[in-house]
Amino acid sequence: MIAEAELVNQLKDSDTQSKAFEVLVNTYKKRLYWHIRSLVLNHDDADDVLQNTFIKVFRNIKGFKGESKLYSWMYRIATNEALSHLKKKSKKQGISDAELQRQLLENLEADVYFEGDEIQLKLQKAIATLPEKQKLVFNMKYFRELKYQEISEILETSVGGLKASYHLATKKIEAYLKDN
Amino acid sequence: MKEQDKNNPFKTPEGYFESFTDGLMNRLSEERPSLPESEGFDLPDGYFETLHEKILHKIEAKETKIIPLNSNKKYYYAAASIAAIVLLVFGLNWNTPETLNFDELAEADIESYFESNTYDLSAYEIAEVIPLYELEINDILTNRFNEDNVVDYLDANIDDFNELNLEDYE
Repeated sequence: MIAEAELVNQLKDSDTQSKAFEVLVNTYKKRLYWHIRSLVLNHDDADDVLQNTFIKVFRNIKGFKGESKLYSWMYRIATNEALSHLKKKSKKQGISDAELQRQLLENLEADVYFEGDEIQLKLQKAIATLPEKQKLVFNMKYFRELKYQEISEILETSVGGLKASYHLATKKIEAYLKDN
Repeated sequence: MKEQDKNNPFKTPEGYFESFTDGLMNRLSEERPSLPESEGFDLPDGYFETLHEKILHKIEAKETKIIPLNSNKKYYYAAASIAAIVLLVFGLNWNTPETLNFDELAEADIESYFESNTYDLSAYEIAEVIPLYELEINDILTNRFNEDNVVDYLDANIDDFNELNLEDYE
């Protein structure tokens, strides 16, 4: 696999940009897709957000100073894109964020691209009850199995705070599953 | 409160308290809950294979829109120069209209800008630039509190009113 710094240099150079961009997309598409999907829940929205994420990366790579790792920068863009996509969606429909979550979960039950069983659906409902930060941390830690250090770089918060958020999230989810 | 009694004969291993919080947080966060391992999401066949091409098309489509602007650049320069001369000649004799400043931007425009644009600022970074002392509680809340209701609420829910240290606000 090509070293990250080298890839960034190639992305900034117009001669090598297009090949490097292909490498970038192929290296990160799956990881970013699943991260986005766990936030927006349905495939079409995830596809939109993923494409916009890569377009943003492509357009802004010249301004990438390498202060954070490339992958955490991209994850951060993907996270922001996914969250603002949801906000725009709820605003467009004139409904609250909570109402949108309820609607997304309802659609999930009939979604051809959701093959989860009853308990997996219930888990998604439990995750939907979490505050935004805990939801992010839980998805990134539990499903994506990212390290706390990596999540900390992406969300720009302390490792200690993340551990507390994750602990609270799992307790809330367990309590929800027990009660429902 | 003293952290340790004067005559306490007990001791702890060196660095115990320094590492206690980290140790506890680690233990708590490593407990794997008994939940399904996957989310159950699926996606269309061959989706990832065609993704790169789709993104390239989008980028190219957006860039093509810019081309006519570039090819007509010289006309734009000419038009801009004429406009500048006209403004210079006539503008000086007219009452110069006030330039748009921040206060004149409609609040709705500012709000919609922040809602429709992604800005890379964390809540902490935003908090740093907002002068808290200039904010009133009602700038943040959409429903205004009635003072009597607040007092009634506190009265019913707080055991010891003095704990709130309200004397500064009386």
